[in-house]
Amino acid sequence: MALLLLPMVGYMSANSLVEESKMRGSSLATSLAVRAVDPILARDFLRLKNMVDEQSRVEDIVYAFVQDKSGHVMAHTFQRRFPVDLLTANGLAEDGKLHIQLLEDGSRRMYDFAVPVQVSDGQLGVVRIGLSTARINRSVQHQITLMAGLFAGALIIATSIGTYFARRVTVRLGLLRAHAEEMLTGNLNIQSSPAGGVHCWERRNCELTECPAHGETRRRCWYIAGTMCPDCDNESNFQCRLQSCRVCSVYRQNAGDEIQDLAETFDVMAVSLKTHINELRSADRSLRDQQRLMRTILDMTPDRVSLMDATMRYQACNKGFADSVGVSIAEVVGKTDFDLFYEGEAEERHMAARDILQSGRRIDTQIQIKGEGSQRWFHVVCVPVLDADGRIDGLLRTDRDISDIKGYENQLIQAQKMESLGLLAGGVAHEINTPLGIILGYSQLLQEDVDAGGQMYDDLVIIEKQTKVCKKIVADLLGFSRQTDSAKREMCFNNSVLEAVSLVRHTFKLDKVNILTEMDDRYPIIYGDPEKLKQVWINLLTNARDAMGVDGGTILIRTKLDTPAGIVSVWVADCGVGISKDKLKNIFDPFYSTKAVGQGTGLGLSVSFGIIEDHDGEIVTMSPLPEGFGFPECDGACGPGTVFEINLPLDHQSRDGSTEA
Amino acid sequence: MLAVMAFALIGCSDEDAVTVDLSKRENLVAPRQVEAITYAYLPQYSHTISYQRHRQLLEYLRKATGVPLRQIFPDTFDEHIKMVERGEIDISYSNPFVYTRLAEVGATAFAGIVEPSGHPDFQGQIICRADSPDLKTIEDCRGKRWIAVDPESAGGYLFPLGLFFDNNINVSDFETVDFAPGPGGKQEKVVLAVHAGAFDIGTIRKGTLDVVAGKINLDDIRVLAQTRLYPGWVYAARKGLDPEVVQAIAHAMFALNYRREPDREILSSAGMHGIIPVQDSDYDPVRELVGKLGLDQ
Repeated sequence: MALLLLPMVGYMSANSLVEESKMRGSSLATSLAVRAVDPILARDFLRLKNMVDEQSRVEDIVYAFVQDKSGHVMAHTFQRRFPVDLLTANGLAEDGKLHIQLLEDGSRRMYDFAVPVQVSDGQLGVVRIGLSTARINRSVQHQITLMAGLFAGALIIATSIGTYFARRVTVRLGLLRAHAEEMLTGNLNIQSSPAGGVHCWERRNCELTECPAHGETRRRCWYIAGTMCPDCDNESNFQCRLQSCRVCSVYRQNAGDEIQDLAETFDVMAVSLKTHINELRSADRSLRDQQRLMRTILDMTPDRVSLMDATMRYQACNKGFADSVGVSIAEVVGKTDFDLFYEGEAEERHMAARDILQSGRRIDTQIQIKGEGSQRWFHVVCVPVLDADGRIDGLLRTDRDISDIKGYENQLIQAQKMESLGLLAGGVAHEINTPLGIILGYSQLLQEDVDAGGQMYDDLVIIEKQTKVCKKIVADLLGFSRQTDSAKREMCFNNSVLEAVSLVRHTFKLDKVNILTEMDDRYPIIYGDPEKLKQVWINLLTNARDAMGVDGGTILIRTKLDTPAGIVSVWVADCGVGISKDKLKNIFDPFYSTKAVGQGTGLGLSVSFGIIEDHDGEIVTMSPLPEGFGFPECDGACGPGTVFEINLPLDHQSRDGSTEA
Repeated sequence: MLAVMAFALIGCSDEDAVTVDLSKRENLVAPRQVEAITYAYLPQYSHTISYQRHRQLLEYLRKATGVPLRQIFPDTFDEHIKMVERGEIDISYSNPFVYTRLAEVGATAFAGIVEPSGHPDFQGQIICRADSPDLKTIEDCRGKRWIAVDPESAGGYLFPLGLFFDNNINVSDFETVDFAPGPGGKQEKVVLAVHAGAFDIGTIRKGTLDVVAGKINLDDIRVLAQTRLYPGWVYAARKGLDPEVVQAIAHAMFALNYRREPDREILSSAGMHGIIPVQDSDYDPVRELVGKLGLDQ
């Protein structure tokens, strides 16, 4: 700045000096003009000469001369002749007043002052004075040198002082910058403002320990909201509160300059930032916990839950849904039904979703999904999701797999049907049984009355035989409907099985069917009806034989006592054609049969099921034979085979709840 | 470096210089003065005031008469008288006492002025400081320091001297009698000397106080006494001057009318109210005074 100012100030100063010199020259010339009036009037050349010579004694006056009204030089300071160029070099101004002209004679410069010699409004002549510029220039140079020195001195002093103060400021600013960098690296436990000072609670001996400023050392009290000092304004905003602080002695003692304000604000910012970060971290943790909990709940539920936006794109889902569509949860987001499902199902879901988004109606229904070789039932709940303004923003769909419930439901329906059928059949059989007995009796009596070998006799034999068939059927019906009374008693389980085997072994051999037995030699004793159980074993053996082809085969009967579990089991296995999976679930249904018409009634297994159930046991069918069952080599038919497993409890639980041995 | 920059900037002056050759010199010779009728005002005031007072009157006379008139400025009363005697002053404007001296060398009065008071005669005044408690009457002037205008001054010396004489006070009765120093401006010098306290009393022509009104506070000056009226200032033609010229000038002077605007300004600046014809005998009272005081020897 000094470099710029010095030439300017020097220029102005030089101009000022020149103007001053011009004024001085004008004064000298005007003075001479006034004094020259009388000598001019008196034509006193001596006095005029003395006057101009007096002027020449002034140091920088080069010359002086006086002209009369006609321009004749009456007196001058030149020693000999007069330089005539001066006569025309300068003259009065057009208005007859002072005129100054800069002259140059090759070696020097001078200002020529032309002043009129006037009395009232009459002009007697002209006075001319030449003032050398050398002295002016010397003065200017001297002043410039002096000013340059002063400027240089002032510059050095100002620079030194400025550097000193700038150093103080930059050190503090550097400290602030370092603290800012530390904050960026995560260290918020910094103090930028100078330590010390007096705190309000110290100065006032404040005992309000519940005041937020009490004990606070990192922040000044005016930065803390909600202070309880009676002198504080805690109702207004920060600026208004700060205004009330300006009269506070604590503030006046501790308030510093702008940098200290900045540092204190910096500290407050760090503290606030740290608090906010801690709150954010806490909130983040809570949010993560809640998310994890929500995700766990959603993922643990077997239902397929999905959230779709208004454009019918999936926004979220649970693990069940993702697994059902075969992609990860993240991949589901953004996809449509057509990206995740087969066309038919996708179309159905899409139409349902569109209907909900348009109508806002909730869907609560059951649908059946047919897959490859299986059918699944789902309970679908689909509700619209509303935004804050009550507009439909998406929809939430839950697909609950109710296939098992559906199965139980079907079983229940079947059981009810069977119960009704059993009651009907039992009633009918009971009524038919008596006439059948009479028909059988009379047919046998009539046989005694006719000759054996006659046509009549043969007819009566046929009647007797068919009547017995009918009684068998009726007996089965009564057994199915549990109309027959059971006669349970302690019995040997193995003997019951072996009796049934011995009954059919011979007959089976005719059909090339061999029966192998692997009996548990501990001879378990159970509580049961030997006849009915024997009926079950014969039924199972007959079914096993029927599963063989014409080449016959092998039947394996195995018993096993499981004393810790309290059950005894028997397995009846064959190497026949086996039972397909879809038929397995129906084989215990009454009148269900895979045999040809006339070869079975379809009541055998259902009656067996009823008998085992009456003994509190269970019967399970597996086809083909499970691996590791240990079935021996089969000579005849060698199909996948079937095994019936019957488990009966050793301790029979009676109907009244008492345990019988 | 700063100084160099400053000098460089200062050197950039936008003032143009006119080149002169001071070595080309010549001897200057004053042009010959044009022949003219010379007109001189008795130097009772400075040359400047004399010039200012009579410049317009001379301008008027030049135009009115066609006579080339030039005002000249003698420094003293004696020089004025001698220049008239030597024929260097053709028209002399002087006080009546000087006129009696001029008349002795052949000059002839042809016109007199009407004082600004409206009368053709005037008087002298004895003044003192207003705060002089012991100066109440003329008698009190005895033994005091007296400053007068000039031994040749009418109103400024002779008329008061006659008044003192009538009151039996001679020159020797004063402590000192001094006259205003230097050329011109003598009436004013007397007033200023009394005002300054350098002298106890002063004698001036009536009307002088109006001239110095701008220089001092007139309340500080008290007029102690006034002389009787004597004939006023007079225009005289030197001996041998062409009577036609005198006649022409006198005619032009008498034609001035104070009631006409251009004439009023001319007369006012000359300190007159008008110019009237006079005769030499009109100044006999002055000659009587000179005789009474014994100044004619």
